[in-house]
Amino acid sequence: MLSYIFRRILQSVLVLLVVGLVAFAMFRFVGDPVETMLGQERTVEDIERLRENLGLNDPFFVQYWNFLVRAVQGDLGISYRQGRPVAEIIAERLPATLELAAVSGLFALVFGIVFGVFTAIRRDGWAANAIMTLSLIGVSLPTFLIGILLIYVFAVELSWLPSFGRGEVVQLGGWSTGFLTQSGLIALILPSITLGLYQMTLIMRLVRSEMLEVLRQDYIRFARARGLSQKAINFRHALKNTLVPVITVTGLQLGSIIAFAIITETVFQWPGVGLLFINAIQFVDIPVMAAYLMLISVMFVGINLIVDLLYVAIDPRLRS
Amino acid sequence: MTDTPTPVTRPRSRLSLAWDSDVAHSFRRSPVAMVSAAVTVLLILSAVFAPLIAPHDPFNPATLNLMNGFTPPNAPNMFTGESFLMGTDDQGRDVFSTILYGLRISLFVGFAAVGFAMVLGITLGLIAGYVGGLVETIIMRVADVQLTFPAILVAMLIFGIAKGITPPEYRNDVAIWVLIIAIGLSDWVQFARVVRGATLVEKSKEYVAAARLIGRSPAAIMLRHILPNVLSPVLVIATISLALAIIAEATLSFLGVGAPPTEPSLGTLIRIGQGYLFSGEWWILFFPACTLLALALAVNLLGDWLRDALNPRLR
Amino acid sequence: MTRLFAAATLAAGLAFPAAAETFRWSSTTDPSTMDPHAVSSTPVLGFLTNVYEGLVRRGRDMTIEPALATRWEPLPDGAGWRFYLREGVTFHDGAAFTAEDVRFSYERAASEASDVRSWFAPVSDLVVVDDYTVDILTSTPQPIFPDSIANWMMMDSGWAEANGAVAVARDAENFATLNANGTGAFRLVSRQPDLETVLEPFAGWWGEVEHTVTRAVFTPIQNPATAVAALLSGEIDMINPVPVQDAERIDAADGTTVLRGIETRVIMLGFAHDHAELQGGGDNPFSDVRVRRAVAHAVNVPAILQTIMRGSAEPASQLVPPSARGFSPALDSRPAYDPEAARALLAEAGYPDGFAFSLSCTNDRYINDEQVCQAVTGMLAQVGMTATLEAMPVSNYWPELRADNFDMYLLGWSPGTFDAEHPLRFLVHTAGDRLGTWNFGGYTNPRIDELLPMIQSEIDDTARQAMLDEAAATVQDDMVYVPLYVEPLLWGLRDGIEVTQRPDNFFVLRWVNHR
Repeated sequence: MLSYIFRRILQSVLVLLVVGLVAFAMFRFVGDPVETMLGQERTVEDIERLRENLGLNDPFFVQYWNFLVRAVQGDLGISYRQGRPVAEIIAERLPATLELAAVSGLFALVFGIVFGVFTAIRRDGWAANAIMTLSLIGVSLPTFLIGILLIYVFAVELSWLPSFGRGEVVQLGGWSTGFLTQSGLIALILPSITLGLYQMTLIMRLVRSEMLEVLRQDYIRFARARGLSQKAINFRHALKNTLVPVITVTGLQLGSIIAFAIITETVFQWPGVGLLFINAIQFVDIPVMAAYLMLISVMFVGINLIVDLLYVAIDPRLRS
Repeated sequence: MTDTPTPVTRPRSRLSLAWDSDVAHSFRRSPVAMVSAAVTVLLILSAVFAPLIAPHDPFNPATLNLMNGFTPPNAPNMFTGESFLMGTDDQGRDVFSTILYGLRISLFVGFAAVGFAMVLGITLGLIAGYVGGLVETIIMRVADVQLTFPAILVAMLIFGIAKGITPPEYRNDVAIWVLIIAIGLSDWVQFARVVRGATLVEKSKEYVAAARLIGRSPAAIMLRHILPNVLSPVLVIATISLALAIIAEATLSFLGVGAPPTEPSLGTLIRIGQGYLFSGEWWILFFPACTLLALALAVNLLGDWLRDALNPRLR
Repeated sequence: MTRLFAAATLAAGLAFPAAAETFRWSSTTDPSTMDPHAVSSTPVLGFLTNVYEGLVRRGRDMTIEPALATRWEPLPDGAGWRFYLREGVTFHDGAAFTAEDVRFSYERAASEASDVRSWFAPVSDLVVVDDYTVDILTSTPQPIFPDSIANWMMMDSGWAEANGAVAVARDAENFATLNANGTGAFRLVSRQPDLETVLEPFAGWWGEVEHTVTRAVFTPIQNPATAVAALLSGEIDMINPVPVQDAERIDAADGTTVLRGIETRVIMLGFAHDHAELQGGGDNPFSDVRVRRAVAHAVNVPAILQTIMRGSAEPASQLVPPSARGFSPALDSRPAYDPEAARALLAEAGYPDGFAFSLSCTNDRYINDEQVCQAVTGMLAQVGMTATLEAMPVSNYWPELRADNFDMYLLGWSPGTFDAEHPLRFLVHTAGDRLGTWNFGGYTNPRIDELLPMIQSEIDDTARQAMLDEAAATVQDDMVYVPLYVEPLLWGLRDGIEVTQRPDNFFVLRWVNHR
């Protein structure tokens, strides 16, 4: 087991290096940062000087190597757009994204499992069918449209919820949290629903189909024959056995929640790393793009590692 | 094992058995499935025959009159007096015709992207699951890298490269293929993971061991024996992915890397339309959004039904 | 002194019975730095104009008026300008403003890392005459020099030295990136980039307080629909810009209105004058003035303004709007929409069946830029010029244009000096390292190149205008660009708030009043 973990960590580092390489190869296609950094009265010399100063005339693998050397020392460079250390900016913005992702993930998991179990048990009931259909409508429209429609209904027409931002945040050490104020919690509602809706539907459908499958199997019939109550069967046996795929999918979806946060954060002006990344693309802020991609990679690789380990731990058949 | 000519414990795969009888039967019993299928077929047909059905050709800029812009549905335009069933958009394009043509592009992108993702994902998933070892490690780590890059980024990367290598006059034609590859690339991992997982489980079953014992080649075992048994989750993912790919195209359009505005897809139409949500020109958003909703819903419901129907234990 | 100001503030408070309050405003772009010399862009300079001040400033009607200089005069023989500084001015940290700060700000703003150094290109030296007098020496006579430094902001030399902000910081962090210490009517209270920036009135400001703001909070909101929602729901007091299509809705809604004006940015079509071939191969028709004229006749500008711009913008005839200094009133008519004339011109130029080419366009830079380009594509197609529209984000756009990957392109130009000389210098003069830096199409005309330095150093207004008129006529005759329209300014406001809109799209907080 230990050597397995060690091997996986080594592989993960390799993955990170490849991600960085691909990212750096890509940056030259996003645009020219120098064009966006200088005002309209720039001269050709200004452009050349800045390009030289930023090291943009170096071949991209040299740029990549320099980035890696500095990144290992904890220096992610200076943002072209803000002129501040990237590490500082990311640290400022990360709590917003993580809190949003956590709430969305929780929303997706809780409602996904509850609705999934419900629709599996009441397979042909009208309520189950209604939930199935409604959840499908939710994922049949693009995220940005759902976000804008939610803003239109709940912020503009009803004035119940804020249309943008995080509300009031409290600083806890280096972490800014929206969990401790009323406005912060309220501000989480619309973005979390927008972001978590797709994952909720996915988990719900997965739980439902796994439950249906498991409920048909022999040991459940056996349990029923032993006189266990239907409730006990549903939750103690059936639900428990659906958890392996649910864990896998949820783990994988956590990553895509963070990736999709880009859209949600843009629509709701949520000050997280996704919005930062979109701004960075528009401005060709290469240090920020690189740092964001590496950060996301670390998260993804980490999540993958944990999911794989859990998978092995839960399903002994895969241990060989 | 004996030396009988039937080598495997199950002579025919679950899929082909179900296809012959039960699926068709189940289809006739499910009104949801029938309605979904009807809607899907109707939408596909209207996309295919768009040039025959559409009253205007929205992709021909020479025929557009800007003064027809923002005409409400079924009401005469205040300058030109022309009237349009679903109104016109900002360019004076007939919304109904634009939807038909846009549907064409969206469906094409959707089917092509899913097909691409499916072929890639199944192949890599089968190989990873069956061969194992270093090959599996490499494939699954590549999948990790792939997952790390949001579709948006993949699209931008491919867009950039495509722009660099295609002559300018072909760039707009290339845009569609870039979308297909970008969406397909961001989607194959799902297939690969499911197929790999299922393959791992199937591989340990007796019938595969039996096939291996009698000397079947790995490729034959993967294709003839394992593939049919992992097809039902793949089909279910594929249907959901189809809807998803069409929506992903819309999302990419929101981020500025979608289909060109002169030849808009359904997603581009929605992106354009959302700008008019507050200004009262609801029809520019409403009709394309409803079409996308109907399509995605029908395909998803069909996928649901298909999953249940293909799983004999649920009947 | 302080008491006097307190009294003035009190009087102002009494004059406006509504309680002074927190004012919240929003724009699509966050000012990327608080350093007034690091980035020359409207979001940065427009924001910092509330915190920092220059020797001169622009009034509500864009005229130059005294700020930190009370008066100024040209030195004999066009050797430069003398500025007499205002006495008794203090920076937000309490330090006094003197000629030494002007010298420091000059050295800083004219340094290599500065993004505003082009303003000082003609300056040879700055001489401190006494504590409250400075001479700015120029190599040639500079008649409009005071106009060109309205956004040159004064920084305290002591503060900069104490905090290590002497150099302009662009690729390294610096205290001045997040902190500010100006002489302006508002001081920076807190700064969270991309999130929230808070300003409060500076009690020691030298000027007369005309506003009722006690606290001003700026939040960038990037998605236009979200900003409109925030205004309509009352979370924000003012948004800039309002999407043109949403102006009517905001006007009609209870509690919000739209303030409409005209910006200084002219939107135009540019051509590949000096390319031998089109992108797709074949002779380049755009080097023929008849083809360029055909384009001008084929584009139905009134229709674009009526539909896509919803009547908010105004047609443009020259490279500067009518409000700019040096505009030529005699030349204020643009080619009429006339598809027949366009077809005739094309036939005359040898393209009776038209031709195919590519139209490059931004899709995130100007108001409804992509829609306008689409409409232009349709209109050109109707006379036989079939364009492939290539719309792209601005981050890709300039590199593409600089690499000559275009046949025809969309360009917006805002004259930084608010003078007709500005576009001549950057868009029309033969392309070089310092001049003609935005002349992507490679237009060249010896007469323009000859006129430009003469215009730049002509002291006599009439003679100067005559040369500007000649240049404008040449640009029109050669159809170097096809000016389409002047962009509108649309600000969304909560009722009960009065603001002043200036064509340079700067938002000046000291003109905000709660009624």
